[in-house]
Amino acid sequence: MIQMFQVSKVYPKHVEALLDITLHVQKGEFVFLCGPSGAGKTTLLRLMLRDDIPTSGQILVNGRNVIRLRENKLPPFRRTLGVIFQDFKLLMDRTVYDNLHLVARVLGIPDTISRRKIGRLLTEVGLLQKAHQIPYMLSGGEQQRVAIARALLSDPTILLADEPTGNLDPDLALDIMRLLADVNVRGTTVVVATHNPRLVSEMGRRALILKHGRLVEEIP
Amino acid sequence: MLWERFQHLLSEMLINFRRGGWGVVASIGAFTVAFLVTGIFLLLTLNLSIAVAQWAEDFQVVVFLHDGNTPDKLTLLRKRLDKELAVREVTYVSKSQALADFRKQLRDQESLLEGLKDNPLPASFQLRIHKKYQTADALRQLAASLKRVEGVEDVLYGQEWIERLTGIIQVMKILGIVIGGVLGVTSLFIVANTIRLAVYARAEEIEIMRLVGATRAYIQLPLILEGTLQGGAGAALALGILYALYRATLWQLGTSAPTIFSEPEMGQFLEAGYQMIMVGVGALLGGVGSLVAVRRFLRI
Ligand SMILES: Nc1ncnc2c1ncn2[C@@H]1O[C@H](COP(=O)(O)OP(=O)(O)OP(=O)(O)O)[C@@H](O)[C@H]1O
Ligand SMILES: [Mg+2]
Repeated sequence: MIQMFQVSKVYPKHVEALLDITLHVQKGEFVFLCGPSGAGKTTLLRLMLRDDIPTSGQILVNGRNVIRLRENKLPPFRRTLGVIFQDFKLLMDRTVYDNLHLVARVLGIPDTISRRKIGRLLTEVGLLQKAHQIPYMLSGGEQQRVAIARALLSDPTILLADEPTGNLDPDLALDIMRLLADVNVRGTTVVVATHNPRLVSEMGRRALILKHGRLVEEIP
Repeated sequence: MLWERFQHLLSEMLINFRRGGWGVVASIGAFTVAFLVTGIFLLLTLNLSIAVAQWAEDFQVVVFLHDGNTPDKLTLLRKRLDKELAVREVTYVSKSQALADFRKQLRDQESLLEGLKDNPLPASFQLRIHKKYQTADALRQLAASLKRVEGVEDVLYGQEWIERLTGIIQVMKILGIVIGGVLGVTSLFIVANTIRLAVYARAEEIEIMRLVGATRAYIQLPLILEGTLQGGAGAALALGILYALYRATLWQLGTSAPTIFSEPEMGQFLEAGYQMIMVGVGALLGGVGSLVAVRRFLRI
């Protein structure tokens, strides 16, 4: 599903964000990318989304060589993925519903269908009654769940979640993780970046440990 | 889906308009000024050209004669003039007729002529010219050849005036094009800047759309259409103002100089075709300006 071969990413001024990464995520898998701040987790997810290209190495996502992806093939490729951004990227000038609606439109979902779908997803994350609130009035955990609902609009084959439990307290963090595990059970491959090793051990899933841009360990 | 796409375009544009605030006002205003100035030049040159064409049509070449031509000589001269291809109509004005006309023009000041013993005015032939010979060159040639005819004292015609006016119109046209061009390019930059600000203001939204798989066109089209609309609106507004100015001017002229300007064909506003071209050029400039901005500030 996701394969990386000797991928390195060097930012200007010799910032080596990723060094010689080789990994393989199976279809239907739930994998953690774990490592301290600055280890390169976000960078790795951005490469998978083809938001950026690596300095060297090869990346296959859904059987596609994302580096060689033509510009006109890029949007359809991204529409098969779901992303939860580390900073949520929720728009504070519109309601929760409209935040999801914006993405539904990009995905080309007709309004009649997206209305029901948005309702269903907000119910799933337990936020239907907050659909018409502006995200900044929501708590951190609620915003997180809005971001998850939005990422699921595309019925993604792969869900990339960047620090989806950010600063949440442990109980809430586990709730979110269970939500993602549910999504995974329904067939979506899930990659979760987190700096929190406890979460990894509590969930008991495979984890790739990153440090200073290198894959240093794999659990189990 | 098409309808939703259209709705999306419309709502995005409205959002941009609302957020753009003074930027939008500035770019529409820039286009308005540019097209107003260009339009004033266009309108002036158009109406001057029409006026000059009318004068030229009415204009008579006057052939002044030596005193003491015999009636036979006059018949010969008339035949000579009739032969000219350029001449449409020949009217003879005798010395006494000329004096009578002159008296009539002087009206109350006839006393000025009382001291005169001899009639100082020459007899003349007044010529009307065929339309296709009413060019400065043709008139100059005609005058030169008639001047050489025996019995002719002098030939007067409006060449100088027509040439001068035509020259002025040419200069005005060029000036209009240059000034209009400069202002047009300025508006292009202003609209580009407005769209650039719109891109910045919506950077987050654009970023999200990009990352969830929006195509370049999907993101860019509302912005480009918005610039197009601003340019077109500016040009249309300019036309509205121009028309108001035009009516006000006609009205002013109509009250102060009724004899000259009361003829309906004296004033003419820009034709519908010109108006559409102006709005079209405004829209095009607006579109190009925003395309430049969007190309520079958006990545996929
Ligand atoms: N766009 C960029 N330009 C330059 N350097 C960058 C850029 N993005 C990331 N880096 C650098 O690359 C390294 C890895 O950053 P990255 O954001 O991937 O870390 P992370 O593991 O996601 O950290 P965190 O847990 O704090 O989110 C850091 O040293 C960072 O400064
Ligand atoms: Mg990160």
